[in-house]
Amino acid sequence: MQEVVVLGVGLHRFGKTGDGVVGEKSVTELCRHAVDRALKDAGVSWKQIQAVAAASSRFSGGKGWGLNGNDVVEDLGCTGIPVYNLSAGCAAGGNAFNIGYSLVAGGIHDLVLVVGGEVMPKGMIQTSGVEDANDPEFLRQRCVGMPGPSFWATLARRRMFDYGTTEEQMAKVTVKARKCSESNPYARFQKAVSLDEVLASPYVSNPLRLFEICPVSNGAAAAVICSKAMARRFTSQPITVASSAVATIRFDDALPRSLANPVPSGASFHTEAKAAVMKAFEMSSIGPRDISFTELQDNTCYYELAFPEEWGLCEPGEAERLLEAGETAPTGRMPINPSGGFVSFGEATTAMGVFQIAELTWQLRGQSGGRQVPGAKVGLAQTNGLGGNATAAILKR
Amino acid sequence: MSQQREPAVAGLFSEEDGVRLHGAKCTTCNTPYFPKAAHCRNPDCDESKIEPCSFGGGGVLWSYSVADFPPPAPHKYDKPFVPYVIGVVDMDNGLRLVGQMADGLEAMRIGARVELAIESIYHEAGKAFTSWKFKLL
Repeated sequence: MQEVVVLGVGLHRFGKTGDGVVGEKSVTELCRHAVDRALKDAGVSWKQIQAVAAASSRFSGGKGWGLNGNDVVEDLGCTGIPVYNLSAGCAAGGNAFNIGYSLVAGGIHDLVLVVGGEVMPKGMIQTSGVEDANDPEFLRQRCVGMPGPSFWATLARRRMFDYGTTEEQMAKVTVKARKCSESNPYARFQKAVSLDEVLASPYVSNPLRLFEICPVSNGAAAAVICSKAMARRFTSQPITVASSAVATIRFDDALPRSLANPVPSGASFHTEAKAAVMKAFEMSSIGPRDISFTELQDNTCYYELAFPEEWGLCEPGEAERLLEAGETAPTGRMPINPSGGFVSFGEATTAMGVFQIAELTWQLRGQSGGRQVPGAKVGLAQTNGLGGNATAAILKR
Repeated sequence: MSQQREPAVAGLFSEEDGVRLHGAKCTTCNTPYFPKAAHCRNPDCDESKIEPCSFGGGGVLWSYSVADFPPPAPHKYDKPFVPYVIGVVDMDNGLRLVGQMADGLEAMRIGARVELAIESIYHEAGKAFTSWKFKLL
């Protein structure tokens, strides 16, 4: 195995179709901007890139929108290199990073571009586009009508029952996240919100409110990665990829993927996310208490409370107390989502896993300005995706 | 006024002899499936032996959420949209099952006993299209 490093990263600021940030830009234009920035940051030219791992948001059920990595390569100039289009729902960016990592670690290529980007359809994400009784998403939507936010709301409601978590505590996660976004020039929302404003926003899926779930956004992210040996030619301070892992949901997961599961014998929440993170710890010999900060997939603020304890970053049921004590802020003892997270960016599905790599890289270089985690040495990134997908990566300086 | 009733998806359930959800069971490891599975998906099961199995009865509410806004297609609903509760229920038959709740949010309590019912979820072309729902007992 070759050691892998991140040489350069770039983002296109996130926004909403028609606004002053992303306007009517195509997904290829957004990606072009992010890739140009990543190449410049790395000091690498396009012609030196040996392969592309692209996150592609083709869901089950034949949804046709989303990034196609071949379009990005055509736009940059067809050099004939291999393009891998990876589909894993909202975990696709993390999946693409893992494939890029694996290609370099395995010695297949030395210099790889990872890219994700999205121009999202408006409104709640349509998870099935077919009238097909063999598609589990079709059955769930036609027979029940359970959109993404209700999936998260069901888990949040259960946490309220298990740990006594209050709606106010969930709202405080958003207040913390949006405070971080004030100093992130790439976030769609860059304005703090008060607890009252969050609690005054309407329920999208009770108990979760509009300001507590991520909207859909347009945006793009890119990362240039290479072998440590090659990195010496470009930089004296590369960021090391300590590990990158992918996992899928377990048979006994708590929440049915379609209409029903067998009742699990014990607590078995988020089995895909936990497995990916545990694997990343194991591969790197880095433990949860060594992590300086975490970028996790906060489609909803609920995940910021549930995930840290499942991964051993804190004790079960302790997340609410740490949040209220300010310990999950960038200057706290367990910083979570110093970038502002999905709640501040909105979700450009396939860009998210790569956006996290960019934030980890900036934090570890000490380039994160007002949201900087002081003395950040090790960062953990995690994504989740429809279909039971999850990824994790650990970066260190 | 009696209106023709039709399942929202054909073959998944019936109501003629009480509520029956048509699934399957692996007779080796006793894992229930709804909808039916062609093979046992339990990685710890030694030999897949799938037989048709119909499920009914009641269970306990494990958690719930609300569709406060209309879900996107392919969901279908009567207009104007009325928010509804979605329950996840641990059935006595061994399934953790998702379904709409027949009752409103105010009545919800995790741990409550529920039973299955077949009710309409939308109307189209003069017909009532039905699905299973959970009723609080």
